Amino acid sequence: MKLSFSKFLLPAGTLAAAALLAGCASGGVKNPRGVPVTEMKADERGFVAGTGIESQDLVTVTDKMARSIIGIPQVANAQGQPRILLDPVVNETRFPINKDIFLTRIRVMLNSKAGGKVVFLARDRMGALERERDLKQSGAVTSSSDPNVVEFKGGDFLLTGKLSSLTTRTSQGVSDYVLYTFQLIDVRTSDIIWEDFAEIKKQGLEDAAYR
Amino acid sequence: MTTASTDGLHRLPPHPGPLPPGEGASFAARDKCRCNEFARRAASIPSPWGEGQGEGESVICRRKPLDDKETSFVSHGKWLVCAFASLVVLTGCATTAPQQRIVLTGDPLVDGQARAQSGPAKDRVLWQYRTAAMALRKGDFALAKRLLDDALLTLGGIYGHDASARKSRRLFQEEARKTFIGEPYERVMAYYYRGILYWMDGEPDNARACFRSAQLMDSDLENKEFSADYVLLEYLDALATAKLAGDPNDALQRAQSLAKGDKLPALDPRANVLFFAEFGNGPVKYATGQYREQLRFRPGQSQTYAARVSVGGQAIPLRSYDDLNFQATTRGGRVMDHVLANKAVFKASTDAVGDAAIVTGAILASQQGRGSDADEAGLGLLAFGLLSKIASAAANPAADTRSWDNLPQHLGFASVQLPPGAHAATVEFLDMSGRPMPGLTRTITINVATDAKDTVVFLSDRK
Repeated sequence: MKLSFSKFLLPAGTLAAAALLAGCASGGVKNPRGVPVTEMKADERGFVAGTGIESQDLVTVTDKMARSIIGIPQVANAQGQPRILLDPVVNETRFPINKDIFLTRIRVMLNSKAGGKVVFLARDRMGALERERDLKQSGAVTSSSDPNVVEFKGGDFLLTGKLSSLTTRTSQGVSDYVLYTFQLIDVRTSDIIWEDFAEIKKQGLEDAAYR
Repeated sequence: MTTASTDGLHRLPPHPGPLPPGEGASFAARDKCRCNEFARRAASIPSPWGEGQGEGESVICRRKPLDDKETSFVSHGKWLVCAFASLVVLTGCATTAPQQRIVLTGDPLVDGQARAQSGPAKDRVLWQYRTAAMALRKGDFALAKRLLDDALLTLGGIYGHDASARKSRRLFQEEARKTFIGEPYERVMAYYYRGILYWMDGEPDNARACFRSAQLMDSDLENKEFSADYVLLEYLDALATAKLAGDPNDALQRAQSLAKGDKLPALDPRANVLFFAEFGNGPVKYATGQYREQLRFRPGQSQTYAARVSVGGQAIPLRSYDDLNFQATTRGGRVMDHVLANKAVFKASTDAVGDAAIVTGAILASQQGRGSDADEAGLGLLAFGLLSKIASAAANPAADTRSWDNLPQHLGFASVQLPPGAHAATVEFLDMSGRPMPGLTRTITINVATDAKDTVVFLSDRK
């Protein structure tokens, strides 16, 4: 019987080996020209994601908190403008974060959306403010009012929060649950006049090469 | 029948006997010869000095014509030659990633950053780890922070599809192709160092977050007995919680449980000076096995077993809470170990099959007649055997032995309350007998902050 191997399998097999070795030997340069920068929405989840706290979580949580604060009676029906101090949130999660960013976004949203119903106090700028006041008091600079009169306002409420988390890790992956709680506290009575929360859970599994 | 030559110049006598085959006969008689010079040769004048065997003849005309089976054999050989040539050419032409030349300056911090930035992307985190440790020891905390933050971003984003990791699991790719993030003890140390830096900056909650993440890195081990078993991480979690006016008891109990018989110092939230010490030489990786597919850890050798700080009239011991050699060697098996074992089996099997096929094919091809079925089968086996050997040679089960090789062995800690201001202190590293190691004693100045922020002092027996 005349075999047809020589006519098909032999050249096909050797060509396959050639392609295989060429592919194996190739280190290849992926994206040699780089990847152009793309602009994304802050509440959009990018292709780089972990199970921790990310921008889309910040946007979601702070949007919810700001809308909630506007609706409380102490703000909606207040006589005059309640003044709010910011106290950095407490991080009890396993993710190191920029603690100021949450309250900063809430403050900016309320300042832009609340129509002046609340006023925030810039206590983080007190050093610069006191220096300016000292210059005015010494006469080194002009002043539109009497610089010896104390005009720095005291706060009516304290806005703060806490981030807590629960983490589970098994051979199936890692699961992280984060609870975001924010409070508005009456500085005079310590009453918690407002509190709201948001919760986000994420899970993922790393490649077997990393396990 | 013989014919005397009649060229007019020579008269040859008739040959006494029958002429050898072809001798004297005209070329025209060779009606099967494919000699292209037949017409010219027939008209050429014979050499006066006679023509020896093959003299003046085309090589082709000397061979007998090929039959179909021999033609087949020649074409097989041509294919094999062409196949080898294509293998060499294609493999040689395959592209490799261009390597950027890194100019070393001799400064380990500069060179480490250059390697992280300009070296292979898969090794970036490794160089960030190493350089961050060096920066921490040299007091360049800003650099250490920057490097660790970038490294931890990579570490935190390993979930999901990772092309380099996927490729590293393939038969013909090495494990070291994947992005380096380290074994659990290395990931722990990245978070641990970053936690120390957060505490230095007055952020004990973020420091605690790092210590918790560090403990999580050690939680998915094969042997659950050794999962999340860092004593110091739990103790620091408890201390940070106490300073943040939280309840430290859960973390403190876990720390005490992990310390087993050792009594841990009581938590003192009023302690405003924290000493983080490290000493000894940490583990280094190596590979064993027929194809270096088994990852092993070689414990570092060290003569330093403890440290001591003398300040303000008190001698503060910095005992070892955790041993990285122990952590590395109790890591247990990895999922990747099974992948590498399978690669090794494939490599060995294809090698053996290739040998058998080549030997069998050679025997078949050589013992039967040319062009026979057995001959063709033998050639086929030869080709298959060759492919199998190539596949075996290309399989790469070698374990990834890249390691964070400037880690310490021991992690120590102590805390004390000191009044604000500058304090002169003496740091000693002690051997197993409690004697100061020569050449490692140094004096430092501890500047205790006036505000509520803790003063963090990082001590290492390495310079």
